Amino acid sequence: MSDPRDTTDPSGIDESGADPPRDPTLRRPDGGTPASGSDDASILKDGRDAELDRGPFQQWVADSIENPDRVYRAMFYVAAVFFLFTTLFPFYWLLMVALTPEGQLQNIVFTPNGFNPGAFVEVFQVIPFHVYMFNSFVIALASTAVVLVVASLAGYAFGRLEFPGRTPLMLLVLVISFFPPAAFFIPLNDLFNTSFFFLEPITGDGTLYNTPFALVTPLSAIFMPLAIFILTTFYGQIPDGLEDAARVEGTTRLGALFRVIIPLSAPGVATAGVLTFIATYNEFFFSFLMTDGQPENWAPILDGILAYQGQYQVLYHLMAAASILGVIPVAILVVIAQEKIVSGLTAGALKE
Amino acid sequence: MARVRLENITKRYGEETAVDDISLEVEDGEFVTFVGPSGCGKSTTMETVAGLTQPTEGRVYIGDDEVTDLAPKDRGVAMVFQNIALFPHMDVYENISFGLRLRKYDDEEVRRRVEEAADIVQLEGMLDRMPSEMSGGQQQRVGIARAIVRNPDVFLMDEPLANLDAKLRVHMRTELQRLHRELDATVIYVTHDQAEAMTMSNRIAVLNDGRLQQIAAPLTCYNEPTNLFVAGFIGSPSMNFVEGTLVEDGLETNNFTVGLDPSRLSGVGVGDPVTLGVRPEDVHLTRYADSLTDSTDRIEARTDVLEPMGDEVFVYLLLSEAAAGSMEQDPATSPNQLLMSVTPDTEIEAGEDVDVVLDRSKIHLFETASGDALLHGLTDRSGQEPGTTPTEADT
Repeated sequence: MSDPRDTTDPSGIDESGADPPRDPTLRRPDGGTPASGSDDASILKDGRDAELDRGPFQQWVADSIENPDRVYRAMFYVAAVFFLFTTLFPFYWLLMVALTPEGQLQNIVFTPNGFNPGAFVEVFQVIPFHVYMFNSFVIALASTAVVLVVASLAGYAFGRLEFPGRTPLMLLVLVISFFPPAAFFIPLNDLFNTSFFFLEPITGDGTLYNTPFALVTPLSAIFMPLAIFILTTFYGQIPDGLEDAARVEGTTRLGALFRVIIPLSAPGVATAGVLTFIATYNEFFFSFLMTDGQPENWAPILDGILAYQGQYQVLYHLMAAASILGVIPVAILVVIAQEKIVSGLTAGALKE
Repeated sequence: MARVRLENITKRYGEETAVDDISLEVEDGEFVTFVGPSGCGKSTTMETVAGLTQPTEGRVYIGDDEVTDLAPKDRGVAMVFQNIALFPHMDVYENISFGLRLRKYDDEEVRRRVEEAADIVQLEGMLDRMPSEMSGGQQQRVGIARAIVRNPDVFLMDEPLANLDAKLRVHMRTELQRLHRELDATVIYVTHDQAEAMTMSNRIAVLNDGRLQQIAAPLTCYNEPTNLFVAGFIGSPSMNFVEGTLVEDGLETNNFTVGLDPSRLSGVGVGDPVTLGVRPEDVHLTRYADSLTDSTDRIEARTDVLEPMGDEVFVYLLLSEAAAGSMEQDPATSPNQLLMSVTPDTEIEAGEDVDVVLDRSKIHLFETASGDALLHGLTDRSGQEPGTTPTEADT
C-alpha cells in the first residue's frame, strides 16, 4: 500500500532508495526538489491519481483508514451476529428437539422431524415437573431474600460507617468469594447430614439434607460477596444528610437504612437481587448434590430434567421441553427487572 | 420548648480535636447562633446536641434530662440541614409527615398538623409535589416545615441558608426570625456568615479551633470582643489591627502614638506588645472629625484604593511609604495600612494625602501574645471607667 502523503516530503524521495516511487504521476519528472511550492501542492491535492493503481482490497483498506467508523460498524455486526447465534441457536435447537416426536430424534439440525407440541404438556404428566419448578423458585427466592437482607446490612456498614479494619474485612469478603464452591461441599454435606436435636421440630430427623435450607444456606453464602460489593457502592453514594435527617426525624440507623437508603438505592438492590436470583436458579453443583432428587424433598429443576432419564430410555424431547419451560421464569424476570432498573436509574435523581 | 446545656463537650477524631471543652447554655426560647470559620467545630457541636455525633467527653442536657447517650430520635430535637436533605423519593406531604408517621400519629392528626406547618411556611397547595420539582427556597421551606411539624423542644439549623442564592437568603433570614417569634422556640443556628449571626440571634457563640471564644449578645460581640479573633471575625469589613508597644504615656506603633495610661491595663506593662484594634467606621478624616469628643492625634496617611459600596465608601489608607505597593497586605493585619469607611458624599480621591484620627472611645486594645482583650474604649471619663467587661456605656 502506498501512502500518497509520502511525497509531501520531497527529500524523502532521494533517501528512500529501497522503496522506489511507484506512481509516476505523483513524482516530479526530475525527481528532485520542487522548483516552486505551489506546483508541488497541486499534485498532492489531486488524490484521484493515487487511486489509479489500487486493487479492490487496497481500496477498501484505504477507505477504512479514511473512515474507521465503517470498520467498527462492520465489526459490531459480525460480533453481534456471532453472539446471538451462539446464545440463541441452542434454544432454537432445544425447541426443535422438544417438538420432535419420540423415536425420531435423529439428525435434527434446523427443523424438527415431525411436530409434537404435546411434549410441553407431557413433561408434567410423566413426572411432577411443576413441583420441581416450584422448589427451584422457592429456593432461588429465599436465597435472594437472605442475600439482600444480609448484604444490605454489610453494604451499609462497609459503605457508610468508618470503623477500624473496614478495608481488611472487605478484602476478606473478596478473598472468600474467590474460593471454589466445590471446596465447601464435603464439610457442608457432612454438616447437613448430621442430626441436630434442635432441628427435629423443623425437619423431622434433625438434618438439613433434603430441605430447602441445605440449598439456601450455601447458595446465599456463595453469591453474597457480589451483592455486598454492589450494595456497598450504592449505599455509599447516598448523602449523609439524608440518613441524618431520617435519624433526627425518628428512625434508628436500621430504620434509616430501610426507609431511606434502600428505597433510594433501588436500582442497586434490583441489580443485586436479579443477579443473585438468576445465579441461584441456575446453580448446578449444590442443587444436584444437596437433595436426593425427589420432588417432595425440595429437589430443584435440575433433578426434574434429569428425571426423564430412565434406566432403559432417555426422553430427550421431554428433557428439551422441560429445559425451555425452566428458562421461562428467569427470562420473564430479566425483562421485568431490566425495565425496573432503567426506570429506577432515571427516577433516582438525587439532589445534593 | 426547653433549655439546652452543654457541659465540657470535647470531640476528638483520632489525634484531631474538633471540639475542645465547650460549655454553654441556651435558654428556653432563645435563638443562639454558633458562628465561626470553616472547621471550627460549630457543626460538630450542634451534632452532639442532635445526637448524630457522640462527644468523646462531656454531657448534653435538653430540658432537665441528660441526653448524651440517647438516640437522635429520642431527644425531641428537629433539624434543618444545609443540603436540605429532603427525601427525594417522597412527595412534600410524605416528607413533612415522615416523623409523625414514624411516631404512629393517626392519619387525621397527621394531616391537620402537616397542613398547619405548610401554612406557616407558605407551602399551601404544594403538598403533592416532589422535591425535585421545587426551587431551592421552596425545598428549604419544606425542610423547615418538616422540623416544625413535630413541635420539637429544640430546633437545630445547620447553615440552612447556605445553599440559597443571596436574595433568597436575605428573605429566608427574615422568615426564620418571624418563625422564631411565632413559635417561641429554642433555636440553635449554625452559620459561618457573621451577618446572619448578627441579624438573627439573641446571642452569638463565636467558635474557633474547636474552642468557644465568646458567647454574648450580637452587639456585645461587636463592641466588646473578648479577643482578637472575635474582633476580627465579627463585623464586615474586618476590624483594623495595628501592633504596637506599650510606652510610658501610651501605645506606640510604627506610624502613630495613642496616648494612654498603661496602669489602666492589667496584665501588661511598659515594653509589652499590645495590638490596637479599630473598626473602619471609627477612623475619621480630620476635617470631618469635629463632632468627635475624644479623638487621637492626627495620623498622616495617603489614600490608596477607594471602594464605593453605595451606602458607604471604603478607603484604604497607607500610613507610610513602606506600605505603598505592597498589594498583598491586608489592612486588617498590616501595621502600615488602615481601612476607613466614609459616607459617599465625602470628597476624597485616590492618591490624596489626608489626615485621619481615630475615635478613642472605640479603640480596642488586645494583648498581642494571647490575643485577649485588655480594654474597650480609651476614653478616660471619671465615673465611667471602661474596663475589660464594661456595660453598654461605650456604645
